[in-house]
Amino acid sequence: MRYDHDIIVVGAGNGGLAAACRAAGAGYDVAVLEKHNLAGGVASSFVRGRFEFEASLHELCDVGSEDDPGDVRKLFTELDSDARFINEKNLFRAIVTGRDGYDVTLSAGRENFRKSLLKVCPGCEKSLDRLASMLDRTSEALAYNDSKKGKPNKLVMMFKYGKFLISASHSLDDVLRSLGFNSRERSILETYWSYLGVPADELNAFHYFEMLKGYIRHGAGIPLLKSYGLSLSLCDSLLRRGGSIRYNCEVTEFIFDSQKKVIGVRAGGDEYYAKHVISNVIPHNVFGMSGKNNVPEKDRRLLNARKFGMSFICIYLGLDKSAEELGIKDYTVFISHRKTSRLQYDDEENMGFYVVNCLNLAVSEASPEGTCSLFITVPVTNGKLMRGVKPENYYKFKQRIAEKYVDDLCSVLGIDIRENIEEISVATPVTFARYFGSPDGTAYGYRLSGWDGLMARMLSKGTELDIEGLTFCGGHASSGDGFGVSYRSGVEAADEVISKLGGKNDG
Amino acid sequence: MAEDKKRIKLNMGKFLKIIPERLKRIKNSSDDDMKPLYSYKPNALAAAIHPKEQFVIVGNIEKLCSDTLLFTLLPDKEKGTSSLSPFQAGQYISVSVSSGKRTYSRPYSICSSPSEFADKYQIAVKRTDGGVVTGILHEEIKQNDKLTVSDPCGSFTYEPLRDAKTVIGCAGGVGITPFISMIRAVKDGMEDFSLTLLYGCKKPQDALFRDLLDKINDPRIKIVYVFEEGAEDNCEKGIINAELIKKYAPADKYSLFVCGPHNMYTHIEKEAEKLGIRRKYLREDARGQMIHPEKEPDFYPAENGDYAVTVISSSAKTELRCKSGETLLSAMERAGVTAPSRCRSGECGFCHSRLVSGVCYTPARADGRRAADKVYGYVHPCCAFPRSDIVIEIKA
Ligand code: FES
Repeated sequence: MRYDHDIIVVGAGNGGLAAACRAAGAGYDVAVLEKHNLAGGVASSFVRGRFEFEASLHELCDVGSEDDPGDVRKLFTELDSDARFINEKNLFRAIVTGRDGYDVTLSAGRENFRKSLLKVCPGCEKSLDRLASMLDRTSEALAYNDSKKGKPNKLVMMFKYGKFLISASHSLDDVLRSLGFNSRERSILETYWSYLGVPADELNAFHYFEMLKGYIRHGAGIPLLKSYGLSLSLCDSLLRRGGSIRYNCEVTEFIFDSQKKVIGVRAGGDEYYAKHVISNVIPHNVFGMSGKNNVPEKDRRLLNARKFGMSFICIYLGLDKSAEELGIKDYTVFISHRKTSRLQYDDEENMGFYVVNCLNLAVSEASPEGTCSLFITVPVTNGKLMRGVKPENYYKFKQRIAEKYVDDLCSVLGIDIRENIEEISVATPVTFARYFGSPDGTAYGYRLSGWDGLMARMLSKGTELDIEGLTFCGGHASSGDGFGVSYRSGVEAADEVISKLGGKNDG
Repeated sequence: MAEDKKRIKLNMGKFLKIIPERLKRIKNSSDDDMKPLYSYKPNALAAAIHPKEQFVIVGNIEKLCSDTLLFTLLPDKEKGTSSLSPFQAGQYISVSVSSGKRTYSRPYSICSSPSEFADKYQIAVKRTDGGVVTGILHEEIKQNDKLTVSDPCGSFTYEPLRDAKTVIGCAGGVGITPFISMIRAVKDGMEDFSLTLLYGCKKPQDALFRDLLDKINDPRIKIVYVFEEGAEDNCEKGIINAELIKKYAPADKYSLFVCGPHNMYTHIEKEAEKLGIRRKYLREDARGQMIHPEKEPDFYPAENGDYAVTVISSSAKTELRCKSGETLLSAMERAGVTAPSRCRSGECGFCHSRLVSGVCYTPARADGRRAADKVYGYVHPCCAFPRSDIVIEIKA
């Protein structure tokens, strides 16, 4: 069969759904093709017994409240989604074990953030002032850059916004050092590194600050119906706007014309033609489905130079007592047995770093009354944890890893949940590879380190992966990973396509 | 510490080096085409453990008793299934069979040992009255026939972190199959728990796998037959109940695993309640097609005997009738619409569909949907009964 649409979106992940909604809202005939039987990609959930587990996306940065909406909330409103969020005021508790370790809880809100940090790091007042001024300066620089439509005056940038240029071109760790933070203070401030997937000595400071600002200003926003509710709300909006989604429909080939312009895709024996294709699927896979001659050499070299972002091991636990009864007090705890983000990142094998979430402490109805759910997220950064895993020992591997982390979190948090596990499920990079189809099961697209960090990608926008008829969006795109960021990248991709196709389609 | 506190100086000139550095990296990297996905370890494992489908050849077919056949399924190497996927004892596969133009699929627990996963799966199929698929399997399928099966799925498995060290299994009739796999797994060192199996059957002749069960000589495994009619030495008479469970259960904690006909689950749940067994220690296998919705506690009758259903798939629109006591999935199957399905019990989500309009009754017990599914109007047709005319969009 041959189908014709204005726009085809490949993949119904966060970026794809947002792009489709946006384009359909502008009057285009949009069809989303999804290989799985559910929409949402990472923004999904699954049911075991009486528990519904959040698959991976449990919170978003920059949601804000109805009175003071952040970027993400505004975006959902724009896309006509009726999704609801709950705001969490504590940012996180971070525990580093051992001598010179720490156990700190940081709060959202500028003043509270400062207070909570000074409580555990009384000596860092001056450095904090410098950090605050740097964060303000980068915001001003961005506003200036926007006002000049991305073509700022170089001298103004240098003289007025030097702090921005510094944070934009150095690693987080270096910038914090330059502000005078000692190693302990840095380690605490860098806790969120795992949300961007690279340790602080490789992570672009500006990128981290942009996220940190959102968290400090608004805290975390937690979707009331789990992230899957966000996905369905976007599907709902898309259908209302006249778009369509086809499930169990895996794209296996991108079709090019003789000018090397993408004109459609092949899926399940059918051909789908469109004026433009938006791919929520990672460029690596798209190139693999395109034929070497059709894609530019420089872009192939770019992809070959890149490394993949993190994948995860997630352990989902349904407990048959409430959080209160079990003595679980925090919504998010980052646990580490290593002191710097570099060591935390590198020592994947020895529980370098993991996150424990109890959703019930933010959304009380996250599981049935008298129960709670707990999930453990372990970044998989180098695959050492998976060494020796084969099909025949895969299930045993999952059991062993679950046991190891449950034991550890019990001893670190001084609780005992081992008698209360009513449901358990474990996802690994294999699970993510299965559902996303991404190489190495990456959930973060490409690794945002050094030369391929956010600033480098932003500055190269428009000169890379600029294939006619094709636009990318999602965590692997130029703005990097992050849930809110992926939605935003979908909207931006759609806007780009809409303007290429001649603006709003009123006909 | 002094070193630690020292402020380093950074240079904004580095900003100008971002692009040159990037271009250099790109220029120096290779121009090779992308590596195939299976060259990445997690992707290769995903393909081996969760293939989209598995092609099998029917090997030996053995008669277990008057109405039950044991099928051995072997990998169809010619069609690309070089090795079958690993599974955990207690899991099932969904078997697809075709008859004429129609394709049906049904879940069957694997009863062979997980240690032999690569070379074979075995399933036992009991012929049921009016059962289309069991009819085809019994009448039409012969040795060397080719079939397609799903990857192993289901969560009726032993989890060391969750379950007690001792499991009391309650099996009824052909519900013995997942336990056969568990017994084999324990013997083969694939699982580490003690299993006391209460095996309930109408009469001694109905008990399956007796050759195997009677020969077991392993301190971790104990078999207790429970016959309703006709006594045997060392067997219990009657049906499995709280008293019997208590008689064989250890003094400390134990998990109760149940697999059998529909009414057995409801019965054992009541018995477990009498024994004060915590929910976490009661595990039930997927129950399969719900045939008696009227027995559910939250059942409510329909106004009409049947309803008009419009099924939208990507390639067709089909009009059909669905009885109020019949699931949407069965009605679609009767009308020749091939809709996705696996567990047929409401829990796997494979049949997930959008209810465009209309009202369905989903018994709470079988409602494996997510909270948002309910809000945004999605159903699992394998356990949804019409309560009005329906328009449904399936994902096929
Ligand atoms: S087939 Fe499993 S939920 Fe319907």
